[in-house]
Amino acid sequence: MIGTATETATPFVNTGGGPLLVPLEIGHPSHLAIVDPDTAFWAIVRKDRLADLLADSTVVREYRQRMEVCATEMQGLRFGLKPSAVYFNPTDRCNLDCSYCYIPRDMRRSGEHMSEARLLESLGLLRDYFSRHMPQGRRPRVIFHGAEPLLNFKAVRTGILAFEKEFLFGVQTNATLLDDTTLEFLTRHQVSIGLSLDGPTAEVTNRTRKGWQGPGDVHESVLSAMERLRGYPGYSVIVTITRENVGVLTPLVEMLHAYGVPGCLLNATRCTLQGAREVRVADGELAGPFIRALERNDELFRQTGHKMVVANFANILLAILAPTARRLMCDISPCGGGRAFFALAANGDLFPCSEFIGLESFCGGNLFREGVDMAMSSPAFAAVTGRDVDRFDPCRRCAIRHYCGSPCPAEAHEMNGGMEQIGAFCQFYEEQVRYAFRLIADGRANDFLWDRWDDADGMETVIDFSGSVTAA
Amino acid sequence: MSKQNQPTTGVTQPLRTVTPARIVEEVIAQRKSCSADGVGLSHYILMDRKDK
Repeated sequence: MIGTATETATPFVNTGGGPLLVPLEIGHPSHLAIVDPDTAFWAIVRKDRLADLLADSTVVREYRQRMEVCATEMQGLRFGLKPSAVYFNPTDRCNLDCSYCYIPRDMRRSGEHMSEARLLESLGLLRDYFSRHMPQGRRPRVIFHGAEPLLNFKAVRTGILAFEKEFLFGVQTNATLLDDTTLEFLTRHQVSIGLSLDGPTAEVTNRTRKGWQGPGDVHESVLSAMERLRGYPGYSVIVTITRENVGVLTPLVEMLHAYGVPGCLLNATRCTLQGAREVRVADGELAGPFIRALERNDELFRQTGHKMVVANFANILLAILAPTARRLMCDISPCGGGRAFFALAANGDLFPCSEFIGLESFCGGNLFREGVDMAMSSPAFAAVTGRDVDRFDPCRRCAIRHYCGSPCPAEAHEMNGGMEQIGAFCQFYEEQVRYAFRLIADGRANDFLWDRWDDADGMETVIDFSGSVTAA
Repeated sequence: MSKQNQPTTGVTQPLRTVTPARIVEEVIAQRKSCSADGVGLSHYILMDRKDK
């Protein structure tokens, strides 16, 4: 924690109450970064001017004055949030058997559907919970997730119709059941839609996204949905990166771009369950193909004018440029699980995040018996919300820990043996952060971000400096 | 992209991309702030940020 203004009176960096500024190699030919790991403040400086910057410079003097503001902001972001969204599984079941799914197979094959009455009761209880702490006029979000939520679409549809004035709704679907009637209903009611696709061809997609009896028509279903959703701004496509598709990320990005997809996630598979670990890409082998795909995506934006935001990378950029503007809450510590959102299973059980739904010991209670408040204060939720990168190695000494957040607690716990362990992709995050800094250095960051991201209501500039190292 | 300029992986050899010689400032620093309302995760991303 940073001290008071009086305590920080020393003119020096890295001693006493002065700013902690750590040099960070970013792979840029002329510049490197300095970072305050505690507050996530950064500057990019010409390499031959680093010593003068650290000795006494305008930018350091400016930062010293705003250091406490930055520290307070990070404290609020990391520890001061209340949930404003729920990931709602209206069924345990799925009509697919994807290699890396975080829902156990038995659950997906023979789990329960939530009845229409139970779904309506759930939404009522959730409305009451959110209304106790969310500001008037701001609607909480309900994202129907899975498993495959459209297997229980009749109940989902009833819930949306009954509560559309009280919640903003989203659906994440594998698209196999997204017929014209369903799609028309969802878009007419402005439901945010997420699809999933893993390859530029059916042959690649089928390697990981398949039916219980074999490949099926998953790939064609998603292409059909993307064609029909062309022009709908509220949809995105999740690509799960595994060893089965890491070699074709660039053609996959080209295909998504050609379909006019407004945004996507290029996620390394979460290694919470064994099935995912079996198809994971080795940590050190991911950044190269990922960055090449991002570069190709930017090239296509420059050529065509259509911007497809790769949201998980955009989130890393935002973590650097405007930490509180993050849209994803995986890459912050503690993560958003049990803080910014929580997950509801089809039987009413509450978990910090969907990633924990297969892990019974992380159930915080049941919506119909104990309620959300009790789950929020349960030991199961505390185990996740208490995972803090400031408290375990190697994260606590890592300069970029507040850009990365060391995701994911479920993965760390199940794959690496405990909450105070790193996740599966430490090097990958390092390289993303370095790349993000290079883009900022070269004035390219906005190509990779949502348009007008910095024009949101209430957006303020805390620090904005460019010039020579010692200029007044 | 020529082979020489293709990114390589590895922690000790940071990835390098071809960068335009655009940066002219000796130092840049920037930070913006807003109310925090992110709720996305690796299983879902909200594209439209309407919240009313």
